[in-house]
Amino acid sequence: MFSFRRVLFLAAGLASLVGAKSSTGNSVLVVVEPKRQDDFSIFYDGLRDQGYELTFRAPKDESPPVIEYDEAKFAHVVILASETKNFAKDITPQSLISLLDLETNLILGLSTKQTPLASLAPEFSLILPPPGTPLISYFPKREESPSLIPITPSKYDATEILNKDLPPVWFSGVPHAFGNNPLLVPILHAPAESFASEVDGGSADALVDAAEKGGEGLWAGSQLGIVTGFQALNGARVTWLGGVDLLTDELAQREVSNGVKSGNAQFARNVAAWTFKESLVLRIDKIEHHLVNATGPNEVYTTNDQLVYSIYISKYDPQKATWEPYSGIKDLQLEFTMLDPHIRSSLPPVPGAPGKYSTTFRAPDRHGVFKFVVDWKRKGWTYLHSSTTVPVVPPRHDGYPRFLSAAWPYYAGAISTSMAFFLFSAIWLAGEVQHGNKRAGKAGKTE
Amino acid sequence: MSTAYPIPSDISPATVKNTASLLRIVALSLISGAAIASRLFAVINFESVIHEFDPWFNYRATRVLASKGFYEFWNWFDPTAWYPLGRVVGGTVYPGLMVTSGIIYNFLHALNLPVDIRNVCVMLAPGFSALTAWATYMFTKEMKDESAGLLAAAFIGIVPGYISRSVAGSYDNEAIAIFLLMFTFYCWIKALKQGSALFGTFAAVFYFYMVAAWGGYAFITNMIPLHALALLLMGRFSSRLYVAYTSWYAIGTLASMQVPFVGFQPVSTSEHMGALGVFGLLQIVAFAQLVRTHVSSQQFQRLLYGVVVAIGILGAFAFVFLTYKGKIAPWTGRFYSLWDTGYAKKYIPIIASVSEHQPTAWPSFFMDLQFLVFTFPAGVVLCFRELRDEHIFVILYSVVASYFAGVMVRLMLTLTPVVCVASAVALSTLLDTFIDPTEPPAEEDADDGVSANGSSSTAPPSQSASKKAKKAAASAPTKTALGDFVAATSSKGGSPRPKGIFGLDSRLVVVFNTLSMLVFFVFHCTWVTSNAYSSPSVVLASQNPDGSQHIIDDFREAYYWLRQNTPEDSVVMSWWDYGYQIAGMADRPTLVDNNTWNNTHIATVGKAMSSSEEVAYPILRKHDVDYVLVIFGGLIGYSGDDINKFLWMVRIAQGVWPDEIQEPNYFTPQGEYRIDDRASKTMKESLMYKMSYYRFNELFGGNPGVDRVRQQQVPKEGPTLDYLDEAFTSENWIVRIFQVKKEDPLGRDLKSANQFAQGKKRKRSKPAPRRRAIV
Repeated sequence: MFSFRRVLFLAAGLASLVGAKSSTGNSVLVVVEPKRQDDFSIFYDGLRDQGYELTFRAPKDESPPVIEYDEAKFAHVVILASETKNFAKDITPQSLISLLDLETNLILGLSTKQTPLASLAPEFSLILPPPGTPLISYFPKREESPSLIPITPSKYDATEILNKDLPPVWFSGVPHAFGNNPLLVPILHAPAESFASEVDGGSADALVDAAEKGGEGLWAGSQLGIVTGFQALNGARVTWLGGVDLLTDELAQREVSNGVKSGNAQFARNVAAWTFKESLVLRIDKIEHHLVNATGPNEVYTTNDQLVYSIYISKYDPQKATWEPYSGIKDLQLEFTMLDPHIRSSLPPVPGAPGKYSTTFRAPDRHGVFKFVVDWKRKGWTYLHSSTTVPVVPPRHDGYPRFLSAAWPYYAGAISTSMAFFLFSAIWLAGEVQHGNKRAGKAGKTE
Repeated sequence: MSTAYPIPSDISPATVKNTASLLRIVALSLISGAAIASRLFAVINFESVIHEFDPWFNYRATRVLASKGFYEFWNWFDPTAWYPLGRVVGGTVYPGLMVTSGIIYNFLHALNLPVDIRNVCVMLAPGFSALTAWATYMFTKEMKDESAGLLAAAFIGIVPGYISRSVAGSYDNEAIAIFLLMFTFYCWIKALKQGSALFGTFAAVFYFYMVAAWGGYAFITNMIPLHALALLLMGRFSSRLYVAYTSWYAIGTLASMQVPFVGFQPVSTSEHMGALGVFGLLQIVAFAQLVRTHVSSQQFQRLLYGVVVAIGILGAFAFVFLTYKGKIAPWTGRFYSLWDTGYAKKYIPIIASVSEHQPTAWPSFFMDLQFLVFTFPAGVVLCFRELRDEHIFVILYSVVASYFAGVMVRLMLTLTPVVCVASAVALSTLLDTFIDPTEPPAEEDADDGVSANGSSSTAPPSQSASKKAKKAAASAPTKTALGDFVAATSSKGGSPRPKGIFGLDSRLVVVFNTLSMLVFFVFHCTWVTSNAYSSPSVVLASQNPDGSQHIIDDFREAYYWLRQNTPEDSVVMSWWDYGYQIAGMADRPTLVDNNTWNNTHIATVGKAMSSSEEVAYPILRKHDVDYVLVIFGGLIGYSGDDINKFLWMVRIAQGVWPDEIQEPNYFTPQGEYRIDDRASKTMKESLMYKMSYYRFNELFGGNPGVDRVRQQQVPKEGPTLDYLDEAFTSENWIVRIFQVKKEDPLGRDLKSANQFAQGKKRKRSKPAPRRRAIV
C-alpha cells in the first residue's frame, strides 16, 4: 500500500517534471486587478507556452490562498496589481517575505503610488523616489510622452539574463536606486539622460535646484535601476519591475522605430525565465572526498594526508527540462576551514569529465573539525554552497614513523646500557663464585 | 600481678592469636560493608545515575572503551568536544579510571554476568572505598599495630572528607586514586622498612597506576622524595633507603612516562625535579658511603663531603639554568596558586572560577573530619614518640597535606587519609592505655598476653602489638630535644616511678567517653553523607510543604529535549561547566567543556555571553552554534546559575579582550552587581542577561517578576531577542535553550528584519551620493 502510494507520487512528480519548464514548479499565481487582467495576454501566453499553469486572483479576493498550512500553494507569484493600495489579508509585505522563505519566486510591480509593495521595496535595499515621480526622459526625440521611454539594454545590464541583440524596450514607471546589498541583480538600468520627476515633465526650478547641488537629490542617470532582480540566500528569486506596463500587450506591439517591434515581449520572457528559475540555475549533484589513491571517503582524515575533493555541478536546461553536467565555471574555489580557511585552492573543471571539478591538496598539520566549503555566489546565478564536515585527527599511536635515523644515538644508548648491564651482572655473578664466601643475594648492591 | 578486672588465664596464646586474627578479618569485612553501604545513599535517595560534571566525561569515555576496545580509546579523537578544535582524548586523559572499569566490565561479562557499564561506573567508587579501607589498615599497621589499623580503616571508611568524592555515582578519578595513594605509600613504607626491591617495585607499579589515574599523582612524586630527603638530612641514610628509593624512582618514572598524557613531563617539568634531585643525591651519598668504607682518612672524608656539597650546589644551579633556558618547563599556574591563594584570581581567572579551587573554610574541616580534627594532632605528636622512619613519613605527610587542604577545598581529600591514620594511632594508644588491665605497681615486663580478648568490637586491641609498642617506647627513648619534650608529655617517659591508672572507674570514664565520641562520629558521618554529599547535582531535591521529597529534574529534561529534538550535529554553546553533561546526556557537540585546556576558546564563549546580541551573533555563526544553553535559577531559587557565574565569564573574556569587555561596565555606578532597573546598560544588553530574563515577566502576569536568587525585581520592560529564538525552557526554568537564527535570506541584519516583521516601517532613505558637491 505504502509503496504503491509512493509509486503514484513518483509518477505524478515525473509527469509534472516533464510538463514544467521551470526547475522548481509550474504553478503561477497572477494577482491582477480584474479590469486590467486582459492587458497582459501576450505575457500570459508566453508563460503558458513555457508550460506554466496560471491561476488568476484579484487583489482583494481571499482565495486561492497564497500560503496554506505553512506551505506555499504556488511555485511562483506575479503581482501585477501595482497600483492597488489594499490587498487581501494574506498578501502583505510580511507574507510576501514568508513566501520567499518558502522559496517561492516573485515578480512584483512598482508604480508611482504609495502601495504596500512600495513599502516592501526598501527591505530589498531598493530606494524609491518620492511618490508621484515617474522616470522621465526627453531623449530620443519622439512623439510619445516623455514618461514612456524606449530603453536599449547596454553592456552594463544583465547580459546573461537578457537575450543578446534585444530591441529597445518600452518602459513607463518609477526608477529606483540601489542600496548596499550584494544580493541585488540589476537587470535593466535607466538611460543616462533620464531622471525621476513630476509627471508634468518636471519644473525647471527643481532641475536647476538639483543641478546647483551638484546633482544631489536628483534621481537621475544610468545608475538607477528600473528592472532589478534579487536572489535571496535560500535561492528564491524576486524581480522588481519599475512599472508593470512593461508587460502589457500594447507596449509589446508598439514599434520602437519603423518596422522594428519593441523588445518588451522578449524582455518579459527573459525576466520570467530568470525569475522562475529556468535560466542560470545550477545545482550541486554530489561531492566526493577521499585520500589520493583511494576510492571511498574516510570518516576521518589524518593530518598531512593528501586529499582529493571533487564536486559535480549541473545546470538546468529549460528546453529539455533536465539537468545537464556543467563545466563552465572558471572561478570555483574550495576552502578547507576550521574557524578560518587553512587551505584555499581553486577548483578547476576536470577535462573529460563533464560537470566535475576537482582538486588535490595536503591536509594541514593541525587537528580539528574541518569543513570542505564551496561557496560560489555570482550575480544572477544560483548560489552554490556546500559544507562538509570531516574531523582531521592526529596520527594513530602506531601511525608515526619508526626507527628514525636521527634517533640512533638513543637506540645506541639503550642497547649499550643493556649490554653493559648484562656484562656487569655476568661478571658480578661469576666473581661471586670465585670468592665463594660472599652473599648470594641480589646483584648490584654494595654496603 | 594485679589487674583492674579479671581476665581468663586458661586460654592458650595460640587461641588468642587465632581469635584475634579472625576478629580482625570480621572487623575488616564489616568495615568494608559499612564503607560501601554508606555510599549508597545517593542511589537510594535518587537513582543509579552518574553525578556532577567530570564523571559524565569519564562515563562517556568508559563507554567508548568498553564498546570499541582499548586501542580505539587510546586513539580517540573527539570531534564533538571543543568544537571545532576537537579534543585528542586518548592523549589528554588519565585513563586509569576508565581502564579499571573496562577491565571489571569485561571480567564480569566473561563470567556471563551482563552488567550494564553504567552500573559498573556507579559502583566503582564504593567498591574502591572498601579497598581504601584495607590499604589504610595495612598502612596504619606499619605505623603502630593492627588495632590502630582497624580504627584507621573504620575512619577512612566513613569519614565525610573521603565520602564527598566517592559516593556511588561519583565516578571520578579520585574514586580510585585514594586507594592507590594509600597503597603506594604502604608499599613505600614496607620497601623502606625491609630495604626490599620487591616492595619498591610494587610501590612503582602502584605509582604507575596512580599516574594513570589522577593528576594528583604529583603528590606522591613529591611526598616520597621529601621523605627520603628528610631521612637523609636526619642522617638516617641506609642501604634500605637507597634500595627502596632507587627501585621506586627508576621503575616508577619509566612506567609513568608510558601514560600518553604524562609523556616526558617526569624529566622536563619542575614538579618532577624534586624526585630526580633526590635520586641524584642518593647516588652521591651512596657513593660517598662506599668510598668511606674503603678509605679511613678523616681528611679525605671531609674532602669527599665537600665534593658532595659542591655537586649538590652545581646540580641546583643546573636546574635553575635549565629552567631559565626553557629546557625544564616552569611551574604551572595551578602550582603557583598552591602557594599564593590570590594568584589565580589575579592571573588565571579560569582556575579561580572553580569552586573547589577556593581556599577551605574552617567549618568544612569539622564537617569533613569531625572529631578527627582534634585527635589528628595528638596522633602526629605520638609519632614523635618513636620517630621511626615511617613515622617521619606520617609527620611530613600531615604537615604538607594540612597546608594544601587549607589552600584548596579539593585537596581536603589528600589530607583525609593521614588524618584517619594519625587519629587512629592516637585513639588506639588511648584505648590501649586505658583498657590495659595492668595496675601500676605491677612489673613492667608482666605478661599481659591474655589481657586483650575482652574487648569491644570498635577497638579490639591486640596484645602483641601493644606490648611491642610499649617495649619500643621503653627501650628506645629518643635523643632529640623534641623527643624529650614528647617523652615528658607522655605517661611512659621511662621514669622508674610507677605511674598509671588505678581502678576500673577511671578506665571506664575514659573508655566510655572515647566510645561515645566514636558513636557520635558515626552519626555525624551518616548525616553528612546522606544530606550533603549524596546529591547527584544533575537531579535536585527539595521539600514539599508536607515534608515529602520533590525531585527537580530540569537538567535531564532539557538535555533529553536536546537529544531528541535537534539534529545530531547541532552545536550547543553553554558555559563550560555544562559541557561534559551536554556531551554525555544530550550527545551534542559543545564549544567548551570541563576540560578547560583552551583559555581562548572559553574566553570566546565568555565574550559571546557578555556582549550584546549584535556582537555575539558573528561569533556564534563563526562557530556554527545552533543552540545556546543557559542555566537560570531565578524562578526556583537555584543559586548555582549562570547569572551568578556571569562575572567569571566577563573576567575570563576580559583577560583576552581587555578593550571590548570590561568588568566595571557590568556593575551599577555604586559598584553593585544588580539585575533590576538599576542594572547597567551593558549588563542589560548582554546576551546572558537577555537569555536569562527573556519573557520572565510573563510568568508574573505582566507584573515585574522577582528573581528569587538575587532577591531583586526584574525591570518591567523585559529584554527582547532579535538574533535568538527561545527553543525550550524546562519545567522550573532552570535550563533555557535558545536557537540561533539563520541569517536573514534578504541579507538584512536580523534586528531590522525583526522590526519589519513586527510591522515597523523603515525610514525613507535617499540614494547614496556618488560625487562630491561642487561648491
